Amino acid sequence: MSRTARTVSAGIAVALAFGITACGGSGGEDVAADKKQTLTVWAMGAEGEKLADVAKVYEKANPNITVKVTPVGWDVAHQKLVSAAAAGTMPDVAQMGGSYMGEFSELGVLEPVDARVFDKGDFFPAGWNQGEVDGTAYGVPWYVDTRVLYYRTDLAEKAGIAKAPANWQEMQDLATAYQKKAGTKWGLSIQPSGLDTVQNFYSFLYSAGGEIVNDKGEAVIDSPEAVKALKEYGSYFDKGLSNKSVQPGYDVVKDFGNGRVPMFFGGPWHVTLLNEGQPQIKGKWAVANVPADKASVSMAGGSSLVISKDSEHKAAATEFIKYLTDTKGQADWYERSKDLPANTAAWTSGTLADDAGLQVFKKQMDTAKSTPSLPKWTEITDKVDQAIAKVTQGKASAEDALDTAQSEIEGLVK
Amino acid sequence: MSTTTGKAAQPAKVTAGPGASRSPAAGPGNHEGRRGRKKTSMGVQNAAGWLFSTPFLVIFTVFMAFPILATLLMSFTDFGLRNVTRPLDANFIGFENYVNLFGDERFLKSLFNTAYFVVIGVPLTIALGLVVAVLLNNGIDKARTFFRVGFYAPVVTTIVAVAVVWRFVLDPSDGLIAGVLSEVGLTSPDFLGSETLAMPSMIAMAVWRNVGTVMVLFIAGLQAIPTEVREAARLDGAGAWQEFRGITVPLLRPTLLYATVITTIGYLNVFEEPFVMTQGGPSDSTLTVSLNMYREGFNFFHMGYASAMAYVLFVVIMGITVLQLRLLKDNTK
Repeated sequence: MSRTARTVSAGIAVALAFGITACGGSGGEDVAADKKQTLTVWAMGAEGEKLADVAKVYEKANPNITVKVTPVGWDVAHQKLVSAAAAGTMPDVAQMGGSYMGEFSELGVLEPVDARVFDKGDFFPAGWNQGEVDGTAYGVPWYVDTRVLYYRTDLAEKAGIAKAPANWQEMQDLATAYQKKAGTKWGLSIQPSGLDTVQNFYSFLYSAGGEIVNDKGEAVIDSPEAVKALKEYGSYFDKGLSNKSVQPGYDVVKDFGNGRVPMFFGGPWHVTLLNEGQPQIKGKWAVANVPADKASVSMAGGSSLVISKDSEHKAAATEFIKYLTDTKGQADWYERSKDLPANTAAWTSGTLADDAGLQVFKKQMDTAKSTPSLPKWTEITDKVDQAIAKVTQGKASAEDALDTAQSEIEGLVK
Repeated sequence: MSTTTGKAAQPAKVTAGPGASRSPAAGPGNHEGRRGRKKTSMGVQNAAGWLFSTPFLVIFTVFMAFPILATLLMSFTDFGLRNVTRPLDANFIGFENYVNLFGDERFLKSLFNTAYFVVIGVPLTIALGLVVAVLLNNGIDKARTFFRVGFYAPVVTTIVAVAVVWRFVLDPSDGLIAGVLSEVGLTSPDFLGSETLAMPSMIAMAVWRNVGTVMVLFIAGLQAIPTEVREAARLDGAGAWQEFRGITVPLLRPTLLYATVITTIGYLNVFEEPFVMTQGGPSDSTLTVSLNMYREGFNFFHMGYASAMAYVLFVVIMGITVLQLRLLKDNTK
């Protein structure tokens, strides 16, 4: 227990110590792309492991380049990147989650994207926007993800409903029918409170036309649209359709498989998880676009590839990123990783064009919204998490909870 | 004994070689060391002492002393995310962080939660630990080892495994408690989802995890009580309860004091239970100071603020420890 306090202070101190030594960071002369050199690349989680294979293919075609891929676990990725930034030891190329961009551009360790090489128009708008901070792009979108509605078709049939819910009313009707007629434990799995609850709330908020912070950088979480969305979100808990209990680290896949939870909002990776982990329900579930209010708008996530400002291999790094994000590279990456291509042209052939389930993702991605790249974004969403918790626990009305969040967030946006 | 001397002599020689050229103190030791061992080996011994201490000293300086000092310095600055790459740009803001802390509702709530945790958790842990120790020491003869291990197992179990078990126990829909309650026709409360029950659930978990440590201390204490004292008391006609009150408790005082102090310090730092079970929720009802500090520091990068929090916690812990030492010690006299 007392270890924590020590870890915290040690972490701070180490950051400080590295920071001091990093002050005289090298400006970095750039090595030409065709010279012999080694590129260091950091990629997270499963991507990190699969990228090494791609790197081998790339090395064969470009014998002068050696690509050294280091896989970094998602759970430590943020801290490792911050420490690297502090120490001035960022890799030449790094994968970065959309939510990191604001922070790292604030740290001043990212090289702006070369507009002569990469064209904004080639990518999903939400994908591109993630890499953009204050109008400058720092990251090239590598893959995207968005949340869609996963639902059990076999149980829906049992409940007497044949088609996917298209709007909020239909979704709630289906949730109720699942519970009443198909005997499921819950109707819909959404998170009641805790860190990143807001990720579940986005599909409600955006579909109602609300936002947390608007394009002008103003807090707008107390808008009527946001209130409406939170009321709808809260009603699932009021009516006992969703589980009020907090379960950090809860993985919905198993409960979806055994039918306790017949609906949840999931990302593209859930397709693989369900196919591999719950084969007994193969063909008994489907994906649908997020049920609409004003429109069907989901959140966009994914990762971008960034180049470190201190890198001495910017030219070669740009070439490598270009290779990973062009049409061919993206289609190849999908085959290897099942990550959804950020480059829209990659969707026009092969499995990506033919699979109906994938087209649901494509359609969702066309309108999906990415979160603004603000340095204090984690803190801002934490306020929204707290507002959601108050409502789902029945401690406050949606209006009151969001009023509080609004005034707190106003203090966090410039 | 002869092997011990051999071992001690060897490193001393090693030190004398490279050490001699660097430190003048080791010089004379080197020359005289062969002739008159007793008198002259002081210098060598000193050098050897320093040499053997070096790993510890280096680690202590790098991972303890420096962070402690850096945290103190940082607590007087507005060190934030941007200062990670430009630490010298952090502004010195005096006691502003400390002043802000006491206007910060979330911090006050975390302070209250921590106090709640300690006030309920410590007496429970100590009392249960004592009861279990006395029972094991006197009552059960055959299965003693089994029970000792049983009570001690939670101490050495990793928190992740503990979390899995406790989530199963507390799950309101199909957990262990819910199952028992449904047998008698009752519905289980939502332990972790309720603001009033979340903290008691954390306390229950922590008590379960820490009773073993306290128990071991008490068993050691109990076995140190001479049997003659007990026999004398029995001869004087003391009953079990009188013996417990008049003999066991007073003679256990040093152990009691030690157990109370370390349990209190541990509970004031409580982090793991809420971190793995509730992440401070619902609505911050299980947010402890340590967890709050972690969030401010690593989620929001308010390093200066988190450092100030660390120092407030440190002062609180020190104050309470000193107080406990005074109160409990005075009573023994």
